[in-house]
Amino acid sequence: MSILAWCVAAWLFGIGVYGIVTSRHYVHLIGCLAVCQSATYVLLLGIGFRWHAGPPIFYDHPPGTPAVDPVVQALVLTDIVVSAAMTALLLAIALQVHKRRGTLDPQHLRPFRQEK
Amino acid sequence: MNTTARIVLLVIALVVLAPAAGMLILAMPAFGHPLSQYGDVVNALAPRLRNISNMVAAVNFDIRGIDTLGEECMLLAAVTGTVMLLRGHRGEDMSERAGRVPGRKQPSRSDATVLLCRFIATVLFLFGIYMVLHGTVTPGGGFQGGVIVASSFVLLYLGESYRAWRRIVLGPALAALEGTGALAYVLAAALPLLGGYAALQNVLPLGTWKDLFSGGLMVAVNYAVGCAVIGSFGVLLLEFMEETRAPENDPVPDEEDE
Repeated sequence: MSILAWCVAAWLFGIGVYGIVTSRHYVHLIGCLAVCQSATYVLLLGIGFRWHAGPPIFYDHPPGTPAVDPVVQALVLTDIVVSAAMTALLLAIALQVHKRRGTLDPQHLRPFRQEK
Repeated sequence: MNTTARIVLLVIALVVLAPAAGMLILAMPAFGHPLSQYGDVVNALAPRLRNISNMVAAVNFDIRGIDTLGEECMLLAAVTGTVMLLRGHRGEDMSERAGRVPGRKQPSRSDATVLLCRFIATVLFLFGIYMVLHGTVTPGGGFQGGVIVASSFVLLYLGESYRAWRRIVLGPALAALEGTGALAYVLAAALPLLGGYAALQNVLPLGTWKDLFSGGLMVAVNYAVGCAVIGSFGVLLLEFMEETRAPENDPVPDEEDE
């Protein structure tokens, strides 16, 4: 049980990378990148988890009762914001690429070739 | 590089990296027993020092507030870059008409969709505002609530027509909201400097614990982040929607073919 969380994080990252490698469409690739990034959420939340502890919100239970690590939760929040902003930026780039080249298949896009 | 070559490369990389990943997994601290003392210290001190009940908000907006300022600026920069990329040659020109593919039928919305979207969008909007307002007290905060409010805009688009959506969701208002939010955060960080305090020092009265306005400067920063996030994601949605316009209105620039 104790290594399950880390294995899940590694597995999520792995399938994300597999998706990126075999991707035939940039929008699919961006989704795979988001899967990769969700591995970091699992990793961070796993690091901060504590058995028999409540959420780090002292509203219903008084301060001093055991609570999980709030720092990693704040980090996950940052992580999600970065992920959302980056996904938007990548999708915008994908839209422009599709407009100019008419395809989003990485196989058919050769960025360094001179356009004839 | 074709798919086979890519997969071969991936397998080689896996063979090299898998043992390292395995060793790392086995060397990780035991699950459920965090090593870091930082979180415990925050949990022990922040409710007393800041009269705040949401520790995640305390970390985000006060204890590591400068980091969140950087994150906020990153969001602003990413949204600005996305908007510039999306606008392309179109500039700031916008249309009230949705893009449509010639010859494709456009089925009208069913009444059930309109009713559900109107209902859910309203509830979602209010829930997002509630999330932002109670950011320092209960789970939530500017980032989460802002995204929820922005998603209610999508439901408005789904339930109403594009034209009605554009009438309800005003582009300049969203841009102003985004800029004002980011500016308010920067001011919240900078103004204490004028009084001889540290940046983002919590100089406002802290309020009482479990109160809506507890946390002093954190309340202001939380609202600023909420405004900025609503504006950012609203602007993003708007610009992506504008991209659905018919291609003939936005021709591919010629310099690409030279």
